[in-house]
Amino acid sequence: MGREVAESCVDTMLMEMVAMYSGRFYANKPELAARRIEAIGYQVGHQLSERYTMERPRFSDHLEAIKFICKDFWSEVFKKQIDNLKTNHRGTFVLQDNKFRWLSRVSIDPSSENETEDPSTPGESKAAQAVSMYLYFPCGIIRGVLSNLGIPCAVSADISSLPTCSFVIRVKA
Amino acid sequence: MIFPSMKLKLDLLPKYITYSCFIIVGRNDIPIYEAEVGSAAKREDAAQLHQFILHAALDVVQDLAWTTSAMFLKSVDRFNDLVVSVYVTAGHTRLMLLHDSRNEDGIKSFFQEVHELYIKILLNPLYLPGSRITSSHFDTKVRALARKYL
Repeated sequence: MGREVAESCVDTMLMEMVAMYSGRFYANKPELAARRIEAIGYQVGHQLSERYTMERPRFSDHLEAIKFICKDFWSEVFKKQIDNLKTNHRGTFVLQDNKFRWLSRVSIDPSSENETEDPSTPGESKAAQAVSMYLYFPCGIIRGVLSNLGIPCAVSADISSLPTCSFVIRVKA
Repeated sequence: MIFPSMKLKLDLLPKYITYSCFIIVGRNDIPIYEAEVGSAAKREDAAQLHQFILHAALDVVQDLAWTTSAMFLKSVDRFNDLVVSVYVTAGHTRLMLLHDSRNEDGIKSFFQEVHELYIKILLNPLYLPGSRITSSHFDTKVRALARKYL
C-alpha cells in the first residue's frame, strides 16, 4: 500500500467516468448517471476510510470524524485541507474548499454563453449542470467515509462560486 | 519425581502449544471470517463452544468500544482459563481472538497485521463489504501470522 499515481491519470479517469456515464450509459437520464457515479464514490470512500483510519485512534463523536475528513482525509486525497468548516450544531456541516482540485481545470465553454440571447441564467444553468456532474463522485466519497465511520448522512455540493466549492453534509438523525 | 527423560520430552514440545480461535465480525454482527489455530487436540464440540464464547463476548465488546478511542481492547472476557481479546477498527469491524496464552504484545502485533490484510481485502472492488472472506490467500496468511505471533 502507498504506491503513487500521476495526478493527470486521476483527472483523466474522472473526466472519462463522467463522460461515459452521462454520455453513453445513461445518455438521457442524468439523474441515473449521477446516482451511479455517487454509488461508485460511496464504495471508494468506504475503502479509503478504512485505509486512512488505520494508524490513528478511533473517533468518539461526529465532530471528530468530520474534522478527520477536513484535515487528514482531505490532505491525503487532495493534498490540501478544507479551508472553512461551518456547522449549525444540529447535524449540518458545510465544508468549504476554496480551490477544489478536481474542478481546477474545468473551463466553461464560451460559445454556449454567446448563443443565448436571454440573460445569463439559462447559459449558466447548462454550465452549472455540466460541472455538477463532476461533483457527484466527491460527494459519494464523503458519504462513504462517514457511513463507514457509523454516521449515515446525505452529502450535496454547492458551486455558486467557482473555484470555491462547498459540500453540505446533513447527518441523518 | 521428574525423570531426566521427561525433561527432554518437554523441551521438544512445539512452541505454539496454545490454542486460539480467531473470528472477524463485521458491522452487522455477522462473522465474516473464522479460523482455529494451534496444535492442541480439540474435540468437535469444543469448536462450537469457542464460537459461542466469542459471540457472547460481543455484548461486552459493544459496551467497551464506546468507552475508549483505542483500537486494541486487550482482554474483555474470560471463560474458565480462556481469554477473549478484541481489536476494533474505525469501521467497527471486530477482530476477536479466544486464546489461553498471555502474550499481549504478540497478540497486538497479530491484530495489527491482520488489520492490514483485511484492508487489502476491502480494497478489492469485487469484495462486498460485510460478506464472508473466502480468499484462500488471506486464510494462509492469517494462519502463518498466528503461528508467528501466538
